[in-house]
Amino acid sequence: MAKRILITDDALFMRVTLKNILSKSGYEIVGEAANGRESVELYKSQKPDLVTMDITMPEMDGITAVREIKKVDPNANIIMCTAMGQKSMVLEAVSAGAKDFLVKPFQPDKVVEAVQKLIG
Amino acid sequence: MMKVEYINPFVMAAFSVLESVLGQEPTKGALAMRPSTFTSQQCNIITGIAGQIEGQVIYGMSLITADKIASAMIGQPIRTFDQLAASAIAELGNMITGNAMSLMAETGYTCDITPPSIIRGTNVKISTLSIPALVIPVHIEQGEIELTVSLREK
Repeated sequence: MAKRILITDDALFMRVTLKNILSKSGYEIVGEAANGRESVELYKSQKPDLVTMDITMPEMDGITAVREIKKVDPNANIIMCTAMGQKSMVLEAVSAGAKDFLVKPFQPDKVVEAVQKLIG
Repeated sequence: MMKVEYINPFVMAAFSVLESVLGQEPTKGALAMRPSTFTSQQCNIITGIAGQIEGQVIYGMSLITADKIASAMIGQPIRTFDQLAASAIAELGNMITGNAMSLMAETGYTCDITPPSIIRGTNVKISTLSIPALVIPVHIEQGEIELTVSLREK
């Protein structure tokens, strides 16, 4: 059975791009969240194998969403996908519980590589 | 006073993001001061910056250039400038500002960015109010993108 992924990004363009990249590699996209709050809700209802998480988003930012998801599932696989690559941001995301960090713009093979490393 | 050094991370970020997203090497034009109120381009991506440095960075371009960039990013020609096209163009601004913030962090400034917004229209006046602005054009195959950087130290 295909591994299930939840995409989180406020930009429709990024959601479409990530969906295309991951679907082509055989993953099932079980939800698309436009902010952190939606992502937490969809995590609870869909129980995906992995979440991609933007940081700068309205309503609830990605770092807060990572903490909320980790409360629900301490083993959650979350990869940050963000334009903000400074060290302090990476450290904050990792300490919140994110397992990898991709800086936009990313090449498709880097995304697939990061996902494969976590969920195969 | 707006420091000229604030603009460099944005030019460097614009070059690396455009090269990665569009697969071409941009060239830059001459740096100039902006009057506090100026007539905007037809399509403008506005990104806000808050933290040790605050203000806005605006990426301005013609509607034709915006259409061409969006088409290249989406991977097929766009028929109308719809939500997906707007999102692609906005994301370009978000990526450039985000990458510039990483470069600024290396020089000791920690800042956050706001989600981008887009203003489209002809003869729109933009005012950066009390923060002076610098402008630098960046040329790519699809046309010209004007970077207007209006920042000050908090």
